[in-house]
Amino acid sequence: MRSRVREFDSSTLNESVQNTIMRDLKAVGKKFMHVLYPRKSNTLLRDWDLWGPLILCVTLALMLQRGSVDSEKDGGPQFAEVFVIVWFGAVTITLNSKLLGGNISFFQSLCVLGYCILPLTVAMLVCRLVLLAELGPINFMVRFFVVIVMFAWSIVASTAFLADSQPPNRKALAVYPVFLFYFVISWMILTFTPQ
Amino acid sequence: MLQQDSNDDTEDVALFDAEEETTNRPKKSKIRHPVASFFHLFFRVSAIIVYLLCELFSSSFIACMVTIILLLSCDFWAVKNVTGRLMVGLRWWNHIDEDGKSHWVFESRKASSQESKTVSEAESRIFWLGLIACPVLWVVFAFSALFSFRVKWLAVVIMGVVLQGANLYGYIRCKVGSRKNLTSMATSYLGKQFLRQTTGDDQPS
Repeated sequence: MRSRVREFDSSTLNESVQNTIMRDLKAVGKKFMHVLYPRKSNTLLRDWDLWGPLILCVTLALMLQRGSVDSEKDGGPQFAEVFVIVWFGAVTITLNSKLLGGNISFFQSLCVLGYCILPLTVAMLVCRLVLLAELGPINFMVRFFVVIVMFAWSIVASTAFLADSQPPNRKALAVYPVFLFYFVISWMILTFTPQ
Repeated sequence: MLQQDSNDDTEDVALFDAEEETTNRPKKSKIRHPVASFFHLFFRVSAIIVYLLCELFSSSFIACMVTIILLLSCDFWAVKNVTGRLMVGLRWWNHIDEDGKSHWVFESRKASSQESKTVSEAESRIFWLGLIACPVLWVVFAFSALFSFRVKWLAVVIMGVVLQGANLYGYIRCKVGSRKNLTSMATSYLGKQFLRQTTGDDQPS
């Protein structure tokens, strides 16, 4: 889903398909950049879309598969599990922040939480590469370090966007579930072994 | 006599106009955007086919699930951003203003006199048929997955219901919103025609 600030309503009704595709792709790319270099920016929030979260969720779920020879249990439940955890977790956090009186809309919050999974997806990629080397305490320390750094990055990126929408005395109450959400995902990434 | 005939002709044309808004319009039953019509149906139908035949295609549950998810997303984007615009001139989206409040905007292309911008009946029929039939099928699949305990498919089926149901709801609201304008336009137009007929009867033929 996308939202857009439009000055001329009729212009997007008649634009070419290529324009639409390029516009949407640029918006998704811009948001990825914003996650990598988090800055407080209200204009980003106004333009939400859920393509980035979908891509990231599918990528993360694919990477978290245990490659097994037995085709019956070929990682199916784990794939759906990651999907459900990410989306159900994001919906719960959004409901929580709305109940606390935040003035952010449902889809905006889903958008921010989904895009801020990007650092953790990068951590998953790095972990998978590191796991190609031999297992051992050093291997674990490297992965642990990478996951901790990316976890902190996700938290910083998402609170840069979300904390402003809460009244000042409720900020901690709204940020704590986000912390928990990314902690669960980081835990899944850290404890992943390809057996 | 010839003048009488021409008066009758204009009256016939006026009656024709009362049902449709412009004059001298040829039959609009040809498909003006074949590519858009094809893709409108292609993504939806292939998502359903993959879901039904996944066991035959490949033994990998994940490949099927990812394929269906990709097809459903492409279908959602295509129907919302492209085929609705091209085939029936409707569009809906979400707009967030400076206060952070979100508004849902439903817009429809105003009836214009340009030939290229009017809606063709065949395309309209294809559009609405595809839009309505597929979410109904996904709801049926949801119940069958629930009752036959194939719960691992439930995530995909619910995604299908939500995405396609959202498009259906958005376009129905666009259509209903535009019909209000059409009704008032038709009423005022009929009123003008009625006035013209009564004043025209007073003039000598």
